[in-house]
Amino acid sequence: MLAIDFGPDGVVVIAGRLDAAQSPAAQSFLDRVEGNVTLDCSRLEYISSAGLGVLLKTQKRLLGTSGKLRLAGVNRHLRDILVYSGFDQLFEIEPAP
Amino acid sequence: MSDHRMFGRSYDSLRDIFAFTSGFFGRERLDPRLLPIVDFALEELFTNMVKYSTMSDAAVRIDLAGRDGGVEVTLTDYDVEPFDVSRAPEVDVNLPIEQRRPGGLGLHLIRKLVDSLEYEYSKESRQSRITFRKTPAELPGRGDAPKGGGTDARD
Repeated sequence: MLAIDFGPDGVVVIAGRLDAAQSPAAQSFLDRVEGNVTLDCSRLEYISSAGLGVLLKTQKRLLGTSGKLRLAGVNRHLRDILVYSGFDQLFEIEPAP
Repeated sequence: MSDHRMFGRSYDSLRDIFAFTSGFFGRERLDPRLLPIVDFALEELFTNMVKYSTMSDAAVRIDLAGRDGGVEVTLTDYDVEPFDVSRAPEVDVNLPIEQRRPGGLGLHLIRKLVDSLEYEYSKESRQSRITFRKTPAELPGRGDAPKGGGTDARD
């Protein structure tokens, strides 16, 4: 399952599995954010290409309005997926501690 | 050491597929670091079958078997046209963001993440069989450089 919501410090916290079945809900949430947005991925267990599509669509929209999406708390598996996709060139990525 | 199950052609089956792989990994005591990679490849291949083989309403069979400390996975799709996923064109992952499009990364990433990917098609039975393997020896971060780039007509 997937949970996505604003954290207490204004970051967007995403947790669980961002797969093809859950991507529409994530997209629906992210379609409403504006400006410079940090997505806390420290509890994101899994992402598929459908989830990557959500991130890309959101980044394109935000860059079009001088904002951007930044990915924080990125674990090893997620980082590998982002690098193999070339998304490390499209997003500012902060690894998990 | 092996198990199989049938899954309906719907994204709603993903939860059951992930439960199937997770249960198999637990029973076989397989390296849990392999599980997200296996789930990723399975999701991409299964959802491609759902999206592109729309003339079939047959369930998809998934076989799991322990191999060399890892797992071999076979998806069998019934009553479909052929599409060789192992020959899908490469994707340019270095394009600027204006030229990147959502989708199209699934097969590219599978080829980077798994040890092997094979496709077979039977004209007589109109069956597609896709088999991939993942073992601990090929885990990213074990000294192997990321495998080379590329993308595809399908996801």
